Amino acid sequence: MSADTQRACRIDIKDFEGPLDLLLFLIRRDELDVTTIHVAEVADQYLDYIRKAEDLNLDIAGEYLVMAATLTRMKSRLLLPVERDLMEDTEDPMETLMRHLVLYKAFKEVASELRENESIWRDAYATTGERERYQEDITVTDPGQTSLLELLLALENMAEKNAPPPRHRIHKPLLSLTECVSVLDKLLPFKTAKDFSEAVGKDADQAVVVSFFVAILELVKRGWISAEQSYPFSDIIMKRKIERWEMNA
Amino acid sequence: MLDQLARQIEALLVATEAPVTVNRICELTGCGTESAEQAVLRIEAELASGGHSIVVARLAGGYRIVTDPELGFIVGQLFEGKRHSRLSRASLETLAVIAYRQPATRAQVEAVRGVNSDSAMRTLLERDLVKIDGRQETPGRPLLYGTTSRFLEYFGLNKLEHLPRTNEMENLLKLSAEDIERLASELSGEESDQII
Repeated sequence: MSADTQRACRIDIKDFEGPLDLLLFLIRRDELDVTTIHVAEVADQYLDYIRKAEDLNLDIAGEYLVMAATLTRMKSRLLLPVERDLMEDTEDPMETLMRHLVLYKAFKEVASELRENESIWRDAYATTGERERYQEDITVTDPGQTSLLELLLALENMAEKNAPPPRHRIHKPLLSLTECVSVLDKLLPFKTAKDFSEAVGKDADQAVVVSFFVAILELVKRGWISAEQSYPFSDIIMKRKIERWEMNA
Repeated sequence: MLDQLARQIEALLVATEAPVTVNRICELTGCGTESAEQAVLRIEAELASGGHSIVVARLAGGYRIVTDPELGFIVGQLFEGKRHSRLSRASLETLAVIAYRQPATRAQVEAVRGVNSDSAMRTLLERDLVKIDGRQETPGRPLLYGTTSRFLEYFGLNKLEHLPRTNEMENLLKLSAEDIERLASELSGEESDQII
């Protein structure tokens, strides 16, 4: 890798929020002139950066390549004699690009002003104690226990308040994937086999069964255990294939 | 010493879970708009003169009492690990476009940013900073997005008009080819860009 390449990509392509952001950076760094006459220079700098990023095997998103193609096309158009009347009705790509850049830059700047607001107001704390204390007061009616009248009343209430519909409550899973995996770690020593039903227990809750099943899929995917069935719908036999596993590795 | 009305309002502003509007204050205390506003000023004055660590914040069209942002480094310790992280640059940019262009479609956001904004959009919806605001009546009927009152609160804004540089951003849409050319020629000149 040449020193030149290193210099060009010292700023990682991941630091940019897309081709417009990269272009703005290059324009500023190399004091490029974004006008029709100088588009070749802009295109060259951009392509140079992309090429060097490719040399470094950086992952380049499609959007960057589209911009590279657009710039190349604009550059080549400049070199060719142009049929005037053909040009008339098509929009000027240079103007479009300039518009994009100006617009993007403006939004980028207000975004950074919002960032300042964020850092101030993130540090202002409001009480949440009451909200949490009274949340439990919401009475939950069992399915089928509500009359049509109640539903209509609730609907009317909602329309009156113009309130958004109530949020659905989502319960946290009883067991996280990591928990299941660490349980299986103990239940299933290296080079042993165990039935799935035995591992989760006979009277296991549906949610527990599902949690463990997902955990098994994950472990199989990672190649840490194997899972077999002797016939369809029969018990799953799990075999541990590796001695130690680290979930977060 | 605060008077009875100011005390009542102060209590509301402390206990509320979202900013309380003047109208709501009037409803709950039975006072008029003007007296409510005056009372809020008295609360502020009292808090300031006593050197208290809490302030009245004017957020999302209402008031609520919050701790002084300057003390965030102390209070934040109570919530370590539970707090949302700061928004990513992608999310902030996406949010900025939606805020100024609302209701805006995903395609409009992506046209400005020049990159796919799916995941940023998802984060913003999850964090209740952006909501779906109907559909655009054009082919494909794309979803329209707008900002929420949580958005205003998050950025310490009272109303959308208080967004930074509203006029300037509005004018950007009407720029003529000459304006664009002039602005584009200034792109390389300015001071170094702030990295968000």
